[in-house]
Amino acid sequence: MATAPALETTTPPTVTRPLPARPGKGVLGHWRLYAAISPFYLLFLAFGLIPVGFSLYLSFHRWDGLGPMEFAGLSQYRYLLTDSQFWSSIGNTLVIWALATFPMIFLSMVTAVLLNSAVRFKNVYRFAYFLPNVTSIVAVAIIFGSVFSTNFGLVNALLQAVGLDQVAWLNTPWGIKVAVATLMTWQWTGYNAIIFLAGLQTIPGELYEASRMDGAGPVQTFFRITLPLMRPVLLFVLVISTVTGLQTFSEPQVLLQTTDNNSSFAGGPGHSGQTMVLYFFQQTFDNNDFGYGAAVAWGIFLVVIIFSIINWRLVQRRGED
Amino acid sequence: MRLSRRGLLRAGLAGAAATSLGGLTTGCGVPTGSTGRDMVLWYWSGGLSPKVVQDAGARYAGAVDLQAIQIGGYYRSKLLTTLTGRAHIPDIAGLKGEDMASYLPNSDQFVDLRTLGADRLKDRYLGWKWDQAIAEDGSMVGFPIDCGPVAHYYQPAVFEKAGLPYEPADVSRELATWDQFFAAGEQLRKRVPGSFILTDALSVLSISVNQSTKRFVDRDRHFIGDQEHVRTAWDRAVEATHRGLVSKIVNGTPDNTSATERGLLPSQLNASWAAGDIKLNVPRTKGKWRVANCPGGPSNIGGSFLAITKACREPEKAFEMITWMLDAGNQAQGFVDSVLFPSTPASYAMRQLREPDPFFGDQITMDVFGPAAREIPVAFNSPYDVALSTPINDEMRNFYVLGKNPEKAWRDAMSKCRRIADHLGVSH
Repeated sequence: MATAPALETTTPPTVTRPLPARPGKGVLGHWRLYAAISPFYLLFLAFGLIPVGFSLYLSFHRWDGLGPMEFAGLSQYRYLLTDSQFWSSIGNTLVIWALATFPMIFLSMVTAVLLNSAVRFKNVYRFAYFLPNVTSIVAVAIIFGSVFSTNFGLVNALLQAVGLDQVAWLNTPWGIKVAVATLMTWQWTGYNAIIFLAGLQTIPGELYEASRMDGAGPVQTFFRITLPLMRPVLLFVLVISTVTGLQTFSEPQVLLQTTDNNSSFAGGPGHSGQTMVLYFFQQTFDNNDFGYGAAVAWGIFLVVIIFSIINWRLVQRRGED
Repeated sequence: MRLSRRGLLRAGLAGAAATSLGGLTTGCGVPTGSTGRDMVLWYWSGGLSPKVVQDAGARYAGAVDLQAIQIGGYYRSKLLTTLTGRAHIPDIAGLKGEDMASYLPNSDQFVDLRTLGADRLKDRYLGWKWDQAIAEDGSMVGFPIDCGPVAHYYQPAVFEKAGLPYEPADVSRELATWDQFFAAGEQLRKRVPGSFILTDALSVLSISVNQSTKRFVDRDRHFIGDQEHVRTAWDRAVEATHRGLVSKIVNGTPDNTSATERGLLPSQLNASWAAGDIKLNVPRTKGKWRVANCPGGPSNIGGSFLAITKACREPEKAFEMITWMLDAGNQAQGFVDSVLFPSTPASYAMRQLREPDPFFGDQITMDVFGPAAREIPVAFNSPYDVALSTPINDEMRNFYVLGKNPEKAWRDAMSKCRRIADHLGVSH
């Protein structure tokens, strides 16, 4: 706290000093304040930090979930590094993320710009676009399973209508990835369009008026004014999409669960749709291999950290522009 | 979506899986199990007949307040959570058949039912089913609920059109071996264009393995998935695919429903409880189905147990209750209510199980399922079976769905199995 500037009065200014930490009054002295903020920290400790620490401890052991734990040293991690299925699940996650995110950002942007221009029933549209995001993912995935089915699916019916061949979406490695990504795009486009719309509405109208005066067309206006000013919002959406995309689980899980008594976490034929988190579930809960599951979870943690750093760098550099 | 039994097998709806980690339960007993008077029973939707559970509550109301709780979602995770956390452990817990192998090594969590006099009742239950609940130290972990004998569901009208036998007795006799079944499949494909006798090749592999007395890992923790019995099953599934008997239709999609309704998938090899799924998924095919013996002999898929946990204060009372709930009369009720196929052979002769089923053209399906259930081969189920059969099933799918070379698929499956075996401490 800075001292208040002395006013022109005859009385000498009283100097207010910042609250002193009175001697002998450390943490204990302010126990009331600490008690007031403690609930979050206690809950976080009980339900966040301790389980996280336990999972780290667990990843150095062998455990079937019930019996005694056996110390295993680094063997779970050694096994993880040489497990081709883990690496391919990272690849799947990234491919699905890319296939879902870039079309999604493009569509969201277009939707937001359209919504931002003068349309009637604006609120109705906003509500409608937001709807996919709050719909039960399980119900959505069942519908999408129908949409992408080979003989009677909507997508193949459209392909045939324009004279193309049918695609066995849920039976081919790329088909599976496209199907999962489409589901995610459908789910998130509206949500991000609303965020973009909020960003668009912060751009001052004078800028657009000025550009019109200078004779800029709508396309030029978009690329010269809208897009540069939307950059922070765009980055925000990208970061959020990365974090959620790397944790993709329910979409492929529900879309690809097979009805034979196979694992519902396998991610379809050839594990083509098995994301990192699905792989974690399969190892942990199908095989009762809790120690290895914990090691996989820490592997996922590292991947997410790496991508967060990349994101952060990206944002930093943009900030310096 | 109504969850059928099979639906539960593929459980793990995402939300449920997520909450399972939270171990969400509704008002169960006190932290250390029961007070003796209160008794908590955990099961899952379709795991027991609701009527039998209700009757048990009423019957023992004088001595016990039975709280039967249907646990949704990922059942085993929730049970493991309470057992490991040593809190809110149910007194009586359902154990699913496919999880049984993973509970047996931890038999110390459960009351040994032999100490409560289970052996007196042994001859009333299917021998192979009883043995599935015996741990390595000889203790008995669970009491038999139901089983899932596999049969051949088929549409007689389509078989007749293809010039195949179509009366259940004839189909059982003339399609008794896999070779005969495959030959029939070829004839079906020729006479009824676009039809397939098999929906997938994986079922041939897994049913064939189930028909043998060995699985993937033996009692000595040794990998046996590379031996003759698995290799034969593998080759059989490959042969079925090469002969063009397997459809490319994905299970559980509208394609599948539509093809079934149109008689293009007129045949299913599946467990007794699949009858409920067929009735649910293709109700319009009512009357168009019959049941015959599965080619290659009897086998089993699924079936559960009731266990008494160590947290139970009144194991004698609990044992009295579960043996009453699972006696021949109540198991018959379970079949009527929830298609739980009895593990008590005495039930098979009971009137309510010998009712003609209009969905199956008034056939008495018990005539097929009953004898099959008695003759199911006994195989040792290892806790490592799931982990070590997964690569084999995966590679089988890579072959018949993605067109991978079957020899290469087998070799890759075996090398993956050896890697996993090393990791799990299984010799090979």
